[in-house]
Formats: sequence, structure tokens, C-alpha cells
Amino acid sequence: MTNGLTAQEVAATMNEFGLVDQVRSNRIRIVTPLPRVREALERARRVLACDHLVQIAAVDNRKSFELIYHLTGPHRTVLSIAAEVPRDRPEAPTVSDLLPPAGIYERQIHDLFGIAFVGHPDLRRIILNEDWPGDEFPLRKDWKPRPNVFYGGVPEEAK
Amino acid sequence: MPEVVVPIGPHHPALKEPVNFKVIAEGELIVRLEIDIAYNHRGIEKAAESRDFVKVVPLLERVCGICSHSHTTVFVKGIEEVMKVGVPKRAQYIRTVIAELERMHSHLLWLGVAAHEIGFNTLFMWTWRDREAVQDSLEELTGNRVNYGINEVGGVRRDPTDRDVARVLRRLPVLEERIAKYRRMIAHEPTTLARFRGIGRLTREEALRYGTVGPTARASGIEYDIRRDDPYLAYDEVPFEVVTDTHGDVYGRTLVRIGELLQSVGIVRHALENLPGGPIKVATPRAAPRAEILSRYEAPRGELVHFIRTNNTDKVERLDIRTPTLANWTSVAVSLVGQHLADIPVVVAAIDPCLSCTSRVTIVDREDRETKTMTWEELRAHGMRFYREKRGV
Repeated sequence: MTNGLTAQEVAATMNEFGLVDQVRSNRIRIVTPLPRVREALERARRVLACDHLVQIAAVDNRKSFELIYHLTGPHRTVLSIAAEVPRDRPEAPTVSDLLPPAGIYERQIHDLFGIAFVGHPDLRRIILNEDWPGDEFPLRKDWKPRPNVFYGGVPEEAK
Repeated sequence: MPEVVVPIGPHHPALKEPVNFKVIAEGELIVRLEIDIAYNHRGIEKAAESRDFVKVVPLLERVCGICSHSHTTVFVKGIEEVMKVGVPKRAQYIRTVIAELERMHSHLLWLGVAAHEIGFNTLFMWTWRDREAVQDSLEELTGNRVNYGINEVGGVRRDPTDRDVARVLRRLPVLEERIAKYRRMIAHEPTTLARFRGIGRLTREEALRYGTVGPTARASGIEYDIRRDDPYLAYDEVPFEVVTDTHGDVYGRTLVRIGELLQSVGIVRHALENLPGGPIKVATPRAAPRAEILSRYEAPRGELVHFIRTNNTDKVERLDIRTPTLANWTSVAVSLVGQHLADIPVVVAAIDPCLSCTSRVTIVDREDRETKTMTWEELRAHGMRFYREKRGV
């Protein structure tokens, strides 16, 4: 195991992408505009050896969606790259070609938040049931089950 | 040879929860694997947003029946960090003991399931018998065999007596001896050698590339263990080693898990013998300040992550759970390519998926449009027959 990344090291490489913030001893966070996410992930992987994607966290903050890419590597410091996805245009570039594990996480976020990952080779449903309505995304904050919609399973009249 | 699609799932009692695989095979060889894990989505992340920190812990305990302590611990330690609450040492030690007992029961269970998948039912019976000793210890310490209910924000809910501690300690030498025996057995028994060695291979590069975690990663030579890399609970005070192996196949994953069983025995012993005195919980504020935290935990299956965002209330704004099984799926799809249909049960079982499987397999022959249906039992029997005829085991 090598030593952890320092905020200075990260700032030196990642400064152009956004503000670098040391959240706690082994967590460093960067906020970057969405179109630069791929570039930032690629740079973090190449220069800072952040080759392991821990998770893509997705949050609905009511005004927009946030994607937070948590990366780590042999240094074992978690580098989080956060980006905002506009609510009226829920699209983000895929990173599944850069980091293969992203493929399955992006499918999950697409399913639950309705964010389309542009360039993803296979953005099929993975978490919700196959007969779930295609235009409803349950983890969005404004989602409420509607009374007359069929959400899958056994239809009411067959019960 | 025509290409066939083999759908497996979503129901099968051998694995714990439902999942559906479509295996695309050419003859006996697997070309591609597709998965659908939709069958068990219970909306827990959404439900967690509407429960306060007291009520959400029992809910998270039910994310998984086996790693129930993992999910509550990773959550409460995240919330405690956000609240800046110092949890008493005794509570951290008790949590560590439960965590390692949970790892032991999970790994013993896994060893039994893997043995069963290759038709080695004697080993299955033995490991599950030994697992009972672990379950008894858990029951004595927490009151429950599963879903222990020991955690709460600020500490633990039950203080073990000296008698409880002594009883758990007394069981450890027997377990240690049994586990060492399994290690010798795995290395010499022709059945395990033929069915585990060289199966489901994942090189170090592949394991890194596909984001593998837990024993699966460590069996490919990656020293990735959150207990050491991002210490929590009492792991920075308890001596243990990160077990790795370089085989990179099902055999290596078995050796890693057995090695970890022995390490867990050591951790439990050390923690119980050096159990600090004092209180087991502290009072915590009702609400957590606005913050964001990535809480990590080494669950039996690998790195478990809870991303938590709090918002000045007594509920979470968002809880995003990434389970180790989800992280390991990508690598299963890779390690099965080029393998025999006969190896599906054991390769899938080798990541110890915390999802479940099948009761029927439909084999569609594209050329003559013939559909055959196989149950998982038949597939398992096919695997055993295949190896008996080819290799004489």
C-alpha cells in the first residue's frame, strides 16, 4: 500500500476541473461541470491511479440531479468527483468505456432516476420489474405512486 | 454447433434471492452472460428517506439476511461521523465481535453451498454444523441468530455479561481446529481440486479492471480490504492479516475465505479478551446536520458502501447503497466466458452472490427451435456427470 493522496497533489492535477476540497483525512471531493466528467475521470485514473470505481451515487436535490463518482486506487484515498445533471435534460455522458464497472451502476441510476447515459451500450432495465411503467422514476423526490397506474405484479382485477 | 440461450432464474432455493441470468452458449461453452436482478427490489432506499434514525436501523438490518450487521454498522457509523459523536470503545469492540462472527457464519455457509454445488454434500453438512456454533454465539451475545438488532446510532443495545463472553471464547478452539481441517481437506480432496482449480479464472488485471471486491478480488492477488485501508470500529487496534491468494480461480476464492475464517477467529478472541469496560452507548442528537458522507465497510462479500446525505432533520435526504454483489457481477460475466455450462453453479456461487437464482433452465436450440427445460438441480447434476465422465471425479 502506498501513501494516501494529499489535497495538494489532487489540486495540482485536478484544479482545472473545479474546486478541490478535503472532506476528511482520506476523502477528497471535486465539483466539476457535467461535460468535463469523462475528462476528469480519465485524468484521475491516469495521473492519480484512481482505477477503482467504488460507486456512482445519485441524488435528487429537487433543483437538479447530482452524480458523485467515488474513485479509489492503490493509495486508498477516496476521490469523489461530483457533477450536476439538469432536471429538464436528464442526460449524462457514459463512463462505462473508461471504467467497466460503471456499466451496471449507470443502468441502475437510469432505472431509478431516469437519467440517460449517452453512449452506454446497453441501457436496459436492471432494478425495477419489467412491467413497471417506463416514465416513472421512483427515487426522484417528486415521485408519488399514482392511483390508477399499474406498477406490475398481479393486476387488481385478478386478485 | 448452434448458439443456445440458457435462461436461469429467477427462482431457486440454492441461492438466497431471485435473479435471472441469460447464458448464451455455444454447445457446452459459454459465450456471454446477461443478468436481470429486478426481482427483489423492495424500495428500501426510498423507504429509508421517510424514517427517522431510530426507525431506519431495523429497516436497514433487513437489506440482507446474512450481512444484516454490515448494513446497520455501515449506516450508524456514517451517521455518528456526521453528528460528530464519539462512540464508547466497548460498543466499538462489541460491534467488531459481531461483525467477525457474521463473517464466520457467512463464510462457513458459503463453503457449504460451494461444496453442495459440486456434489460434495459431506463437507456441506460439516460446515453447516460448525456454523451452528457461530450462530449460537451470536444468539447469546445479541439475542438473535439473524438480524441481531444490536446496533443503534450512538452505540449498541445489549451488553454481554462475562459469562456470555466466556462461552463464546470456549467455542473458538474447536472452530479453529475444524476450519484448519477444511483447509487441508480442500487442498487434497480430488473432488474440490478438479471442480475448483482453474475454474472461473480472473487475473489480477481483470479483477482490477472490473472493479472486483472482497474475497473475489483478494483471490486474484489484490490486497483490498476496507478493514485495513479505511479502518473503522476497533480494526485499527486488533491484529489481523489481509488474506490474499494468487490462484485467481474458485480454488483461490475458497482458500481466501478459509484463511479469513481463521483471521476472524483471531479477531473475535482478541476483541473479547481485551473488551474495554465502560458504557455501551452515548446519547445522540435527534437530527444530523447537513452533510454528505461515504461510509465504507468490509462485509463478508466485499466492500459495502452507504452514501448518506443528511439535511438538518432526523431523516436521511438520500441513502445510496452499493452492495458488494453488485460490484462483483461485472466480473462474473467475464469469468464465465469460455467456461463450460457445467461450471455455472460453482462460478456463480464463488462470488457468494447475495441474490438468488433459478429453478428452471430453458435450453433453446436456435436451429431446430427446440426448447428443453432444465431445473437448477438438473444443471447441477449435469455438472457432476460432466466431470465424472471427463475427469473421473
